[in-house]
Amino acid sequence: MKHWMILVCLFLFSVPAFAGEQHLYIYNWTEYMPDEVLTAFQEETGIKVIYATYDSNESMYAKIKLTRGKGYDVVFPSTYFVHKMRKEGLLSPIDHEALTHFQHLDPVLMDQPYDPGNEYSIPYVWGSTALAYNRDQVAPETMTSWKDLWRPEFKNRLVMNDDLREVLGVGLIINGFSVNETDPDRIHAAYESIRTLLPNIRVFSGDSPKQPLLNLEAYAGMVWNGEAYMAAQEFPSIEYAYPKEGAIFWVDSMVIPAGAENKAQAHQFIDFILKPEIAVQVCEYIGYAPANRTAVDLMPEAVKNNPMIFPDPEEVKKGEFQTDVGDAILVYQRYWERLKTGN
Amino acid sequence: MNERQRFKFIAVFLNMGWFAVFVLVPGLMVIGISFTTRDTATFFGLPVTLAQYRELLDPVYAGVLVQSLVYSLNTTLLCLGISYPFAWLLSRSPGHRRPLLLMLVIIPFWTSSLIRTYALVILMKANGIINTLLMKAGLVSEPVSLMYTDFAVYVGLVYSLLPFMVLPLYAVMEKMDIRLVEAARDLGAGGFQVFFRIVLPLSLPGVMAGCIMVFLPAMGLFYVPDLLGGAKTMLMGNFIKNQFLTAMNWPFGSAASVFLLLIMGLMLVIYFGLSRRFNRYQQVP
Repeated sequence: MKHWMILVCLFLFSVPAFAGEQHLYIYNWTEYMPDEVLTAFQEETGIKVIYATYDSNESMYAKIKLTRGKGYDVVFPSTYFVHKMRKEGLLSPIDHEALTHFQHLDPVLMDQPYDPGNEYSIPYVWGSTALAYNRDQVAPETMTSWKDLWRPEFKNRLVMNDDLREVLGVGLIINGFSVNETDPDRIHAAYESIRTLLPNIRVFSGDSPKQPLLNLEAYAGMVWNGEAYMAAQEFPSIEYAYPKEGAIFWVDSMVIPAGAENKAQAHQFIDFILKPEIAVQVCEYIGYAPANRTAVDLMPEAVKNNPMIFPDPEEVKKGEFQTDVGDAILVYQRYWERLKTGN
Repeated sequence: MNERQRFKFIAVFLNMGWFAVFVLVPGLMVIGISFTTRDTATFFGLPVTLAQYRELLDPVYAGVLVQSLVYSLNTTLLCLGISYPFAWLLSRSPGHRRPLLLMLVIIPFWTSSLIRTYALVILMKANGIINTLLMKAGLVSEPVSLMYTDFAVYVGLVYSLLPFMVLPLYAVMEKMDIRLVEAARDLGAGGFQVFFRIVLPLSLPGVMAGCIMVFLPAMGLFYVPDLLGGAKTMLMGNFIKNQFLTAMNWPFGSAASVFLLLIMGLMLVIYFGLSRRFNRYQQVP
């Protein structure tokens, strides 16, 4: 009996011994930051990083919301979730004065409607959702439009993101509507279009849309550009194409939750990520374009000119950025359930 | 209180406390939330309503339920078909070899079932182990489509849940008095009659326990149809997850969970009813 009491006491008294050490809790997308960057940060600052990952904005949001922004110090939500979380008071303002590398940020991506003045968010990387295909099975000249996904030779050969906004978004685009549509009739039209695409869809991939392409299960589909980039590194026949109707674009930002306990360290980390050489390292690993203008100048020509990472500005202009659709998400959800149950 | 009593008290108290905090309280919360209204700012809010349950009657959701029931039922039948002869052989194998054979059933389950599901992907993908072997052997000229089919989903579900069927079956079969089988044979019963009149009735409690232990979790293993079936169907597990995460509709997700709980409760009631009747039947001399 006495032995375990001694153990408990030892444990209780040992806690203060850790107190001198600084910690930083990071919550990020899977495969979204190279380990070397985290190690470099720990070596430079002596701050111990505790790293956790998520695979959807929704699961990240639920967790942050439930704990009222406590438990994590830096999180990486996408545009429309920054908007939502800011509105709901889940974010803590970011002190631009504390960021010595702030001036490297690309002004094109700053001061957007989802966070005017970037009071609560600092852009991390940006990217697109467009067409990917395997050159061995699909001729490049036949992949120019979202409508090409409907071609009969793709029967049971497509991979789609398991994301209702993006899949129904494609349906909206081919009907000539915005991907941020809130009108139920238009969302219904998108649903009707996607329903006719179902026979071609082999898999909805939530964890890693590049896998079905690499495994030769799918010949084409809709994927994020970084997934296509990573797949092409492994298997050069994978190509990426921007459809003529326009791709879906998004920005992922770094934010500090309102309840974060290590805000100073969080600022230190954000500043570290803004270092141009670190931004280059991140981009080369994950294949998404950094929101860092100086970093782009530092990149080798081959990377800088890779349209998979850096689309033509014309393509960006044609495309659309996702925003929060509010309660219309319930309409999307309902059609999504109908798609998945074959009703 | 002496040492032994104290130990008993602590052990029982810890267990009950654990269940109260991590099972009972969350369960009651789910039931409570199912009567509230969706509110994106606070997850759920007033007024208190039965609207969520009314909404569940919509044909779309009936479709989700039917799909889940069909998958679970087929998985249960497949598990039963595979496990029954296996458990029988296991229970009739020499005593010194049984622990080893049982270990072989259990060892794979020391690995997370998610990781084992990914392992199945490596086996079944178009350029995976099975297809490479088939092509090398010249049996097929093009990879066979295994992944993202119902076949793959059933392989995953059956593989994940098999021991839950094997173990209860083994437990009853091991205790079965083999002399009853011998007596039946002496009295002229054929193999068919021995099975249906002796072995099957005696193993029925194991069959029922196994079926419940496979059927219920099969409804909830949402990542198996997601990873192996390509997320093309929606089962109750996925549906509830989506209601909570994507639609931010906690009350509706809770109502669906309560509904699922009720179905499971109903099955348990049937199970206990049957096993009580069965026990009475056994006691008749």
